[in-house]
Amino acid sequence: MGETLKDRLVVSNDTKHLIVVREFVSRLIRQSRLGPQEENKVILAVDEAVTNIIEHGYDEGAEGSIEIEVEAGEQQFKIMIRDTGRVFNPESIPDPDMKEHVQRGHKKGLGIFLMRQIMDEVRYKFRDGVKNELTLVKYIR
Amino acid sequence: MPAFQILKEKLHEGMVFLTVRGFLDAHTFEELEKTINDIFEAGTYKLAVDLSGLDYISSAGAGVFIGAIGTAQENDGNIVLMKPSPNVKEVFDLLGLSQIFTFKDTREEAVKALK
Repeated sequence: MGETLKDRLVVSNDTKHLIVVREFVSRLIRQSRLGPQEENKVILAVDEAVTNIIEHGYDEGAEGSIEIEVEAGEQQFKIMIRDTGRVFNPESIPDPDMKEHVQRGHKKGLGIFLMRQIMDEVRYKFRDGVKNELTLVKYIR
Repeated sequence: MPAFQILKEKLHEGMVFLTVRGFLDAHTFEELEKTINDIFEAGTYKLAVDLSGLDYISSAGAGVFIGAIGTAQENDGNIVLMKPSPNVKEVFDLLGLSQIFTFKDTREEAVKALK
């Protein structure tokens, strides 16, 4: 049994921190057993999740924090993203019809679709009125 | 180096050549959106965008192109994308956009596709 890699990062709800989030995830992927071919995609999935919280979780101007915790072992690379903003269930968002999206010039709603495309598990939990927790899992094959 | 940079160059025959570099995400996409809207407002709808210096794109960044291509095509124009890195192309592929956008390798090919 290999050791579990664990680390966490807390950022405020500002898109300027996305670069820090991506660097954090990138560093952990490189320390993990997840292959380099998955790096860009998993970073993207986390970026999309954190972007959704920043854009939809809080009222404009309201301050909030977002915690990103990574646990990586032999079998999987797991990211838990927690926030205290509005309850948001990604399972309620259908996959987009891309041709229609382009015809209508729709620019939003693609993040959840990407998360589902990239990750093996996308789970959402609302805990006791305190925290939203989104868990993203990529299996290590 | 700045996290995101846009260079604009007017070409003949009503075309604009854009070079975007760095990270195109939810923090930087508005700058590109504004640049493209300004180009449209000036009456130019044929755009070639060099993506070779773009290190990263998220759906917020791809959304700028999704939002703009319809307007360009409705006005007898188009948006041609050039030389995305494998990481950036991967995002267009994941979003199913690679069939919708035209990709070219050289400026000459892009200009030809826009004529």
